[in-house]
Amino acid sequence: MPEPIDVVEALLFASDVPVEADRIREVLDLSSADEARALVGGLRERYAARDSALEIVEAGGGYRMLTRPEVAPWLVRLARSRTRARLSRPALETLAIVAYRQPASRPDIDAIRGVNSEGVLDNLMEKRMVRIAGRKEAPGRPFLYETTREFLVAFGLRDLGDLPQVEGELAVPDAVVVAPTDGDASQQDPGAGGADEPARG
Amino acid sequence: MTLLAPDAATPTLTIRVEEFEGPLDLLLHLCRTNAIDLARLPIRTVTDQYLAHLEAIQFQDVESAGAFLVLAATLIYLKSKLLLPADEGAPEELDEEGEALRLELEARLREYARVKALGGWLAAREAEQALRWARPRGELPAAEEIPLEDLSVDLLARAFDRLVTEQRRRAPRAVEPEPPSVLERMAEIVSLLRSTWSLLFSTVVGTERERAELVVTFLALLELVRLGRARAQQTELFGDIVIERGREEVLTDAGTD
Repeated sequence: MPEPIDVVEALLFASDVPVEADRIREVLDLSSADEARALVGGLRERYAARDSALEIVEAGGGYRMLTRPEVAPWLVRLARSRTRARLSRPALETLAIVAYRQPASRPDIDAIRGVNSEGVLDNLMEKRMVRIAGRKEAPGRPFLYETTREFLVAFGLRDLGDLPQVEGELAVPDAVVVAPTDGDASQQDPGAGGADEPARG
Repeated sequence: MTLLAPDAATPTLTIRVEEFEGPLDLLLHLCRTNAIDLARLPIRTVTDQYLAHLEAIQFQDVESAGAFLVLAATLIYLKSKLLLPADEGAPEELDEEGEALRLELEARLREYARVKALGGWLAAREAEQALRWARPRGELPAAEEIPLEDLSVDLLARAFDRLVTEQRRRAPRAVEPEPPSVLERMAEIVSLLRSTWSLLFSTVVGTERERAELVVTFLALLELVRLGRARAQQTELFGDIVIERGREEVLTDAGTD
C-alpha cells in the first residue's frame, strides 16, 4: 500500500502542469490543503536528503517536479540542442510592463516604451505569456492584456508577488483574493494566498 | 563519484547590435554613457548627441522613425528655450512650460529605466529556468473539461486568418483534369503498405491537398479498412491519420515468409 507521500510524488511526476495544493487535497481525499503542502514538504526533504537530481519547485500556484540546474549540461546533450528559445529584450520589457500594470492596454505599453508594441504583444500572445483580459473603457476601446499562468511557470514564479518590488508607478497589482475552498477554510496559509490567483477562471 | 559537466567551458559569443529599441532607449543610453543624473537632464548635451545618433540609425519603417523624431522634436523645442548662450556648468534655466516638459521627459525616462531593469530581471530568471527541465508532456488523458480560461476570440480570429492566408497562397493552381479513382488510390495505398508498416494520410494525399484528391483518398482508406486490408487511427482531433497494414496483410505476410 503506497504512502500518501508516494502518491503525491506520482502525481507530480505524471502531471505536465503545476499541481495545486488544493488539487492534491482533492485527489488524496485529504482534510486540508495544508496537509497536502506538508506532504510536498516531506517529499522535498526526501529529495534533498538523498541529493536527488530532481526537485519539487513551486510555480504558477502549484508544484512541479523539475530537474536540478546542476544536471542541465547532460540534458542539453540529450536534447542535442544548446539552448532553448528565449524571449527578446523588447518582449521581456513588454512582459514586465504587462506583469506589473495588468491589465494594461497597448496605448499604456506604447507610452512607456516609446515605441509601437503591437508586434511584440502578438508574439507574447502566441507564446501564451499574455492574454486579453478585456477592453478598456477609453477611446478606441483598446484591448487590455494580462499575464497567464504559463508566464508564471516559464519564469519559475509562485505568483505575481514573486516579482521584485519597485517604487513608483509600476506597482504590483493586488493579488486577487479568492474565497478559500471549504476544505481549508480554517487553515488558509497566508503565504499562499496569491497561489490561488492564477487559477481563477 | 561526480561527473565533470560536459562543455563546462562554453565559449560565449557576444553579438553587439547597435540598435535601440526606441527613442527612450537611446536617450537612456546617452544618459548612462554620460553618467547623467536623470533628475538634471542637460538638454543641450543630450539633444546634440541624440540628433547625432539619429543620423546614424537606419530606420526599418516609417513608424519607428516617427517615434524617434517625436522625441527629437521635443528635445529641440526644449533646447530652443535655452538659446541664450550660457556659461559652461551654469545651470540651465527653463521657463515654466519648458520645465514641465523636462519633468515629464524625466519621469518617462525613469519609468523606462525601471522597465528595462525589470526586463533584465526577467531575462535572468528565464535563463535560470532554462537549466531546469520538466517532463515535456504528461501521458495523462486530457481532462474532460476544456479549460476555457486561456482561449479567446482573438485566438480564434487568428486561426481563421491563418487559414484564409493559407488558402489564398495557393489560390492559382492548375485544374486537375481527372482525379484518381478510388480503386487506383486503394491499389496505391496497398502497394505502399507492402513496403512499410505504416504511413501518414497526409503523405498519401501529397502536398497539393486538392479537395477531390482528399475525398478519393479518404474513401479509398475507408474501403480498405472495411475490407480489413488496412487499419487507420487518429490519435488527436484533426490530427494526421496513421494508416497501418490490416491484420490479414500481416498474416499473409507472415505466411509467405
